Amino acid sequence: MAPLTLAVPSKGRLQEQVQEYFADAGAGLKQSAGARGYRATLIGLADIEVMLLSASEIATSLISGDVHLGVTGEDLLREQAPELAGRIHLIKPLGFGFANVAVAVPQYWIDVSTMADLDDVCAAFAQKHRRRLRIATKYLQLTRSFFAHMGISDYRIVESAGATEGAPAAGTAEAIVDITTTGATLAANGLKTLEDGTILESQAQLAASLTADWDAPARAAAEALLARLGARERAKTSQILRVRLDQHADKILAALAKEAGASVLSRPTDPTGEYAILCPRQKLMDAIASLRKQGCDAPATTQDADYVFDTANPLYASLAAVLR
Amino acid sequence: MPAFPHYDTPAIDALNGQAVAMLKCMAARGYTRQEPSVLQPADIFLDRSGEEIRRRTFTLTDPSGRELCLRPDLTIPICKMAVDSGAPFPQRISYNGLAFRHQPNEPHRPTQFFQAGAELLGLEDRAAGEIEIMSLAVEALRAAGLNDFDLKVGDLALFGALVDALDVPAQWRARLKRHFWRAGYFEALLNRLTHGAATDTQRLLGSLGGLSATESRAAIEGLMDMVADAPQGARTREEIVERLMEQAADAAALRLDPKITRVITSLLNISGTAQSALGEIRMLTKNARIKLDAPLAAMEQRLSALKALGIDPARVSFAARFGRNMEYYTGFVFELWSQDAEGRVQVAGGGRYDTLLEALGANRAISAVGCAIRTERVLAARRFAGGA
Repeated sequence: MAPLTLAVPSKGRLQEQVQEYFADAGAGLKQSAGARGYRATLIGLADIEVMLLSASEIATSLISGDVHLGVTGEDLLREQAPELAGRIHLIKPLGFGFANVAVAVPQYWIDVSTMADLDDVCAAFAQKHRRRLRIATKYLQLTRSFFAHMGISDYRIVESAGATEGAPAAGTAEAIVDITTTGATLAANGLKTLEDGTILESQAQLAASLTADWDAPARAAAEALLARLGARERAKTSQILRVRLDQHADKILAALAKEAGASVLSRPTDPTGEYAILCPRQKLMDAIASLRKQGCDAPATTQDADYVFDTANPLYASLAAVLR
Repeated sequence: MPAFPHYDTPAIDALNGQAVAMLKCMAARGYTRQEPSVLQPADIFLDRSGEEIRRRTFTLTDPSGRELCLRPDLTIPICKMAVDSGAPFPQRISYNGLAFRHQPNEPHRPTQFFQAGAELLGLEDRAAGEIEIMSLAVEALRAAGLNDFDLKVGDLALFGALVDALDVPAQWRARLKRHFWRAGYFEALLNRLTHGAATDTQRLLGSLGGLSATESRAAIEGLMDMVADAPQGARTREEIVERLMEQAADAAALRLDPKITRVITSLLNISGTAQSALGEIRMLTKNARIKLDAPLAAMEQRLSALKALGIDPARVSFAARFGRNMEYYTGFVFELWSQDAEGRVQVAGGGRYDTLLEALGANRAISAVGCAIRTERVLAARRFAGGA
């Protein structure tokens, strides 16, 4: 067994996206022989064992401490562990797997567009029908805490195992709480979301279990993985700007840092050489404008990098800070 | 207290001794003891108490798939029994037994505890019933050997009467009454009603603003026809049309008058000894020209009754915000607080809950008021005071 275990989704669109994400950072998944597709390794990171699990099993395993790291939906993590503090550390949102957990009611209810309307209707419903309005969902915890936050108490939850959006049409619930991306599935079932009924804007998260056994080799393996992911992320969001600066170099660099968030990667050894400056991709034109404003008229070129490794490893530093 | 309490001989003997003394005190006043089953069908709790109680209820499934629960309190099964028995009202019932509560996020609170209590059901003289139950709680605590406690009283009817006296749409009245005890949320609601942004429904109502009732109804019916294929969610077409028609009639007054908001906020901010709070409320209502005579007179009577029981008025506090975080209370509420080794501790509480019996199947609204005493906490407070 390798010192660190990482759980990734074993099926669906999320599996592809997660594997692309690691491959993009040069750590592609390699299936382990004879493991029937349930285990893998990461290229170049021998100290990490990859387990392929369902997204909800990943959330469970992270909470119970059976794996060190995992990639899964934030909705599943927050549903299974309403208080993440002390149990789960969210290392990084990955920018895919977007889905909202939201309240949806029948389109037939043209008098309901907000949670306050739903509150009125719940209260009137309990009085008129002598039972509570039923909400079908698999997100019991998220629903309870959101409804409590919104001041709604006259309802009851009907636990749904699947196809929640069909519950109102089937007559097993009046409204639902479920994930939605485009709203098309809801609309196809005659449902609509509420203006202030979004419970969670979820996406795939790289998360760490705080209850797993974090011995020194596990920490070292996590540090190496996060250094690589961080370096790749930084390379993708930055460009390297090469330019010769005159004797006012320090003043120009200070202005670049202030106006474009740029930082020095390396200084030239001889006065006529070029500086290498790391600049956020979106601020590149601000950096050029800043250079010219400071009177620097030397030619500037830009360059893409595959990785930008720094002595700092912010992803690991934030994890190390919460590990006991 | 540990999550799973174990009672040794001295502890269980002391708890039983207290319970016997309290039940005897209740029996002397005409209360008959009942003992509902520990295991209950989950439905009556979940349908009546909502998700907040469900979150704290241990539920289980029997082998045939029926959902059961360990009773999270004894009031609901006692009231259900009172309704089902068909016995004439008023009924005076006492009880003593274990209740079970899941304590999410609070692993050091006990998951089971003893509760002794009394329910007075169907007494028409409401003021007399409230005083009877409050006095009974005081006397039961004394019978159990606890003499050092403070009282906290409130009355949801005060706020209800204030809102009823205000010139605001009926739905807003209902909404304000439903939420006044939720600190933070209520202020946000008040703010939204006073300044809030328009929602889809309000824009829809706004567009109906200039239409006659017949024209509005036709317009709403037209909209309903467009969504005729969507699931109805157990609400009839008429239910939805009626709600919109009511709102359309109120649409002219879609914002709450800031003057009204100020009166509400001032009332809710009143707290202190019950005597001084009463004076403040009188002043406030006089200035705002609102009559709250009945609930104020009832409060006055309760304070006199407490004085007659030998309770120092300085130990009786009132807060307008004080409504118990239990959804079935509808009027007078009270709590008794004492002190144990860990600090202030609530040893008893109770109040009026006039809608519960009807919700449990009674064919009309039945006046109900009751109290519950936390036996272990009483013992801890007695030990702290050196009396046990």
